[in-house]
This record gives sequence, structure tokens and C-alpha cells, in this order.
Amino acid sequence: MAMDKITFRRILKWGFINFFRNGVVSLATVLVMSLSIFVIGSVVVGSSFLSGVISSLEEKVDISAYFKPSAKEEQILALKKDLEQFPEVRSVKYVSAEEALEIFRARHEGDDVILQSLEVVGENPFSPSIEIKAKDPTKYGSISKFLESGRYDNILDMDDSGEKKITYRQNQFVIDKLSALLATSRRAGFAVSLVLAVISLMVAYSTVRLAIYNSRDEISVMQLVGASRPFIRGPFLVEGVIHGVIAAAFTLAVFYPVFWFAGAKTSALFGGFNVFEYFSENIFQIFFILLVSGVLLGVLSAYFAVRRHLKV
Amino acid sequence: MIYFDKVSKIYSPTSIALEDVSFAISPNEFVSIVGQSGAGKSTLLKLLLAEDRPTSGKVFFESSDVHAVPPGELPALRRRMGVVFQDYRLLPQKTAYENVSFALEAAGKGDDDIKQDAPQVLELVGLMDKAWHFPHELSGGEKQRVAIARAIVTRPDVVIADEPTGNLDPLNTWDIIRLLEKINDLGTTVILATHDKEIINSLERRVVTLEKGKVVRDEQRGRYVL
Repeated sequence: MAMDKITFRRILKWGFINFFRNGVVSLATVLVMSLSIFVIGSVVVGSSFLSGVISSLEEKVDISAYFKPSAKEEQILALKKDLEQFPEVRSVKYVSAEEALEIFRARHEGDDVILQSLEVVGENPFSPSIEIKAKDPTKYGSISKFLESGRYDNILDMDDSGEKKITYRQNQFVIDKLSALLATSRRAGFAVSLVLAVISLMVAYSTVRLAIYNSRDEISVMQLVGASRPFIRGPFLVEGVIHGVIAAAFTLAVFYPVFWFAGAKTSALFGGFNVFEYFSENIFQIFFILLVSGVLLGVLSAYFAVRRHLKV
Repeated sequence: MIYFDKVSKIYSPTSIALEDVSFAISPNEFVSIVGQSGAGKSTLLKLLLAEDRPTSGKVFFESSDVHAVPPGELPALRRRMGVVFQDYRLLPQKTAYENVSFALEAAGKGDDDIKQDAPQVLELVGLMDKAWHFPHELSGGEKQRVAIARAIVTRPDVVIADEPTGNLDPLNTWDIIRLLEKINDLGTTVILATHDKEIINSLERRVVTLEKGKVVRDEQRGRYVL
């Protein structure tokens, strides 16, 4: 039977009427569904926030090696070329002493005290350097070993105690910790969130199924009165949409204080990244995800739950 | 119009609901199906409504074999039969008026038709003043009258009533029976399953008697004999 306009309108009408007349059952369904999409939403927001943090930290991780002022540019470019041969190296950027000075000037533009102190120094106080980014944070160790191997002692700058000026050393702790965290958290996080999501989906489906199980006699009477399957099923699907929409809105409202609190408590842990900022910047996308998962959950649960009783 | 052709319904070898039942019902007849509980009355009506399938034999509604109708066309067939049950089976979340108008909506009737027909039928069963009550706010007799209104509002060819007075007191029982007679007088076939002796004897219409799943008597102007 093709769905005509009047049938569609009646299905909508009964969906809304039933939602309100079901009172407590509707409320309970919305709450359980909220719980379910809360879990799904947390998993989505949490994992995309984490991977955002990780990749931006990864971006920040690099090795800078500083050269003696006497080092010739050809020598530095030769080293750059050597490094670029490494499969684990993603990019090597040469920053000459003049460029370093320009960058410094640009960063402190308008700060007269600092710019004047540069004048006092007279000559360019910066040394040329290269910034090396690895494809994978675990590879920095071998790159730094290569630099320290002694082949480039003549051009690499050293401090008074003879340590080469390779800033990887100073960041080693962060880099190591991050790479370990990254590997385990991606695997464990995915498994845990998958399990959580499946459990919450099952709970939501069971609730809808129970609610519709209550209507099984009604469904069989409707069939005996000669109502078509779409006409019987339709209002339940409309109710499912309403449940999903309200649950999504409710979950978003709960997310707000939850992420605010979580952000304040954990931003130090994530190196200054605040999950609440991420949440408020992406609030429309997050609501969209909640809405889509809520509506899908509501409609699909209702569809399969009603189908069980449409057999007379 | 309705024809049961050697119909058997066997649930298990020790539980035979119907055995080789054959009889026909003509348009505008008022047929009572009588028999003790478990004689097969309800099973017979369930088979006619295609709520259940016979083990063997066929049930015809006019020229169509009820159990060969594709599922998509079953609703249309059922709309030509109005059903009334012993336990009313109203939609509990809908008011009396909505229960009646639901049948019209299911039949795809327009809003204007519904606004005209639903009150008219509720008037006929004498319940217009309680149209906006929910089933739990109505008495047994009132519920059954709503159920009858729902059954006849789509102007079906036949009204099937399965023990409609089983849960009612004598006064309400006669109200319902008179209503069914009136419906029959207006040109609708009525099939009434009952084990109420007084009703059968006062109706003086055709009586088909079932006993242990078999038709043991089929008399015009029959009486209740068991």
C-alpha cells in the first residue's frame, strides 16, 4: 500500500498522542536511551578529543639540532640530505641564523625592550639549526643516535660540558611517555568503548522491546480490525523518533556540565588541552551525532520490536 | 457468502479443535454457533479471520480462499468483517470515539467521512455521551457497545461476535443481542458464537451446534439442545 498523505498525517498524530499517553513508559524509555547515547557520545567525543591531542602533540615533537656559527651551509645541507635518506624521517627543515632572527623578530614585534636588546647585542645571536620530524614518535631515539654518532662533531654546536645541542634530550621524557600512552590507549580504548557501546545498545533495545511487548494485544487487535502493517507500525516509529530526539537533547544538556568538570580536572593531564573547549567548539557536530544515533536507535529498536508482534 | 469446506484444525493428536467441518452461510443470515467451551467455536471464527490456519480444508469468503490471500491484502479482507470479542479488546490508550474512528482511519476513510460516521455509530449504540471516555472508564456493557460500534462502523459484510455477552450481566446481554439483531435487520450478516441457552431460544434463528469439533446439528429456527 502506497503511503498517502492522510495516512502519513494520521501516523504522525498517533505517534505523538501515544508518546504523551504512555507517560511514565515514555519517560523511562527516553532516560534509558539517553544513558545509551551518553555512552556512545562520550566514546565519540573522548576518542576524537584524544586523537586530536595526540596528533597535535606528535606535531609538536621534533628534534632540533643547533650548529656552530662556523658551520658552512653546504655542510648543514649535506647533513639534511643524509637525514632525508632515513625511512623513519618525515621532514627536515633547515633554519638559517638569519631566518631564526627573522622568526624571533616577528614573534616579538611591538615588544620594544626585546628588540632593543637585540640592537645592543649587535650581531646575530642565533645559530643555524635543523628541525627533524619523524614519521613515528618511537623513532626519535635512533635519529638522535645518528646525530650523536660523532660524524658531525665538527659542525654541531656544543655547550661548555661538551653536550651537543640537540633538544630531543630535553623532551625525551615527554616523547617516550607519549608514544607508550598512544599505543596502549588506542588499542585498549577502542576495545573498551566498543564493549560499552554494544552493552548500552542492547539495554536500550530491551527497554523499547519491553514497552512494545506491553502493546502486543493492541497490535493484534489493530490487525484484526484490518489496519495495514505500515499503519500499525508507523506510530511506534514516530514514537521512536521522539524518544531519540528528546534523549539527544537531554544528553547534550547533561554533557555540558560533565565536560566542563572533566575539562577543568584533566586539562593538566593532556598538556593544557581542555576537553570542554573541544566540546564547545564542536557542539553542533556532537549534537548531530547524538541526534542521529538517538533517532536511529529509537526507530530501529521500535521497528524490530514491533515486527515480532506483526505476525497474526 | 462464507463457506467452510471440510475444515479440520488439529493442534496435536489428543487435541483436535475441529474435524471435517463443512457448512455455508448466506448473505444477511443470522447464524448462531453453539457448543460447550472447547467445542471449537472460537477456533472456527479464528480460521475465518485468518488469525490461524486450518490443518486441512479451506475457508472461503465469497470467492476468495481466506488462507491463500497474500499478507498484504489481508487487512482489506478483514475490513469486510467486523469482529466483537468476549473480552472487548478495545485499544486501551484510545477513547471510545478514537477506537471507532481508528477502524475508519485504518480503512483509509477521509476525515469528513469519519466526522460523520463515527458519531452516528456511537449514537446507534447509545454511547455518544461517553465518546471521550477511555475504556477503563467504561462498564463492561459500555465497552462491548463500543466494540460493536467499532465493528460496524466500516460497514462490513459480516459481523463476527465471539461470546460477546460472556462477561455481561443479563440486562446488558439483551442490549447487545438486540443490537446484533438490529445490525442484521439493516442488512449485515451476523455470526454469533455463544453457549447462552436463553439467547438461542429467544432468537429463533439458524443454529449450528458443535460438539467436540464436529457439526452435530444445523437447523433453521433452531433451539439450544445439548
